[in-house]
Amino acid sequence: MTLAHYLIIGAALFLIGLFGALTRRNVIGILMSIELMFNAANINLAAFNRFLHPEGVAGQAVALFIITIAAAEVVVGLALVLAIVRNTDTLYVEEFNLLKG
Amino acid sequence: MESFSFYSMSAVALVSALLVVTLRNAVHSALFLGLSLAAVGGLYAVLGADFLFGGQILVYVGGIAVLIMFVVMLLGRASDLHLRQVNNQWMAALLVCGISFLGLWKVIGLFTASKTQTPPRPTTHELGRLMLAEYAVPFELISLVLLAALLGAIFFSHIDKKEPS
Repeated sequence: MTLAHYLIIGAALFLIGLFGALTRRNVIGILMSIELMFNAANINLAAFNRFLHPEGVAGQAVALFIITIAAAEVVVGLALVLAIVRNTDTLYVEEFNLLKG
Repeated sequence: MESFSFYSMSAVALVSALLVVTLRNAVHSALFLGLSLAAVGGLYAVLGADFLFGGQILVYVGGIAVLIMFVVMLLGRASDLHLRQVNNQWMAALLVCGISFLGLWKVIGLFTASKTQTPPRPTTHELGRLMLAEYAVPFELISLVLLAALLGAIFFSHIDKKEPS
């Protein structure tokens, strides 16, 4: 296994997440796609740490910080989704036009 | 053995990630999200990042996937199953992803030569030391971020009972 194998898996996972975030209509689906993109970044960090700097663990520490930030992001995001859906009564992002009044 | 683990874990991760973004039923999407995150945790284990593997299973599979599942079941409707779940820009999105993949492929080609020699070793002790020494300030800032997220989640999902709706 070389570093390139892991980087290709990370890139593919990131682009699958990007595709989902660009095309899903359901706002919870977009949040799920963003989680996939976070995971792709974490795979790359762990792989770079293992292959280029095997004597330290700084890459894994940054990956742990990203996991924590992702948890905070999804908690606030889902609370916002709950509040928006309570007001607009729809889950589809093209109907979120509150700023239009 | 390592290549078998790598190929099986990445196949599970990529196939279930594709199902997450393409399935029509959001409950199935959330279930496959949990499977994909667990397979990414398996990739961490193959990379020798044992504490990251444990954290991934605890926080992502046990926390985030379950939370998303709760919200999907709270907000989902039966009529969602008959509606199109993909907007009409999917061809443009596919083009963006394809071109990005070509560019990333070229960049990844620069890294093919590197190989690992050292066997993996336990990382928990060293990670704990790093969090309380070099990364002490980011560690404390992360705890502030978590507190703010907690308060924000309570604030945004709070329903005012006295207000007539």
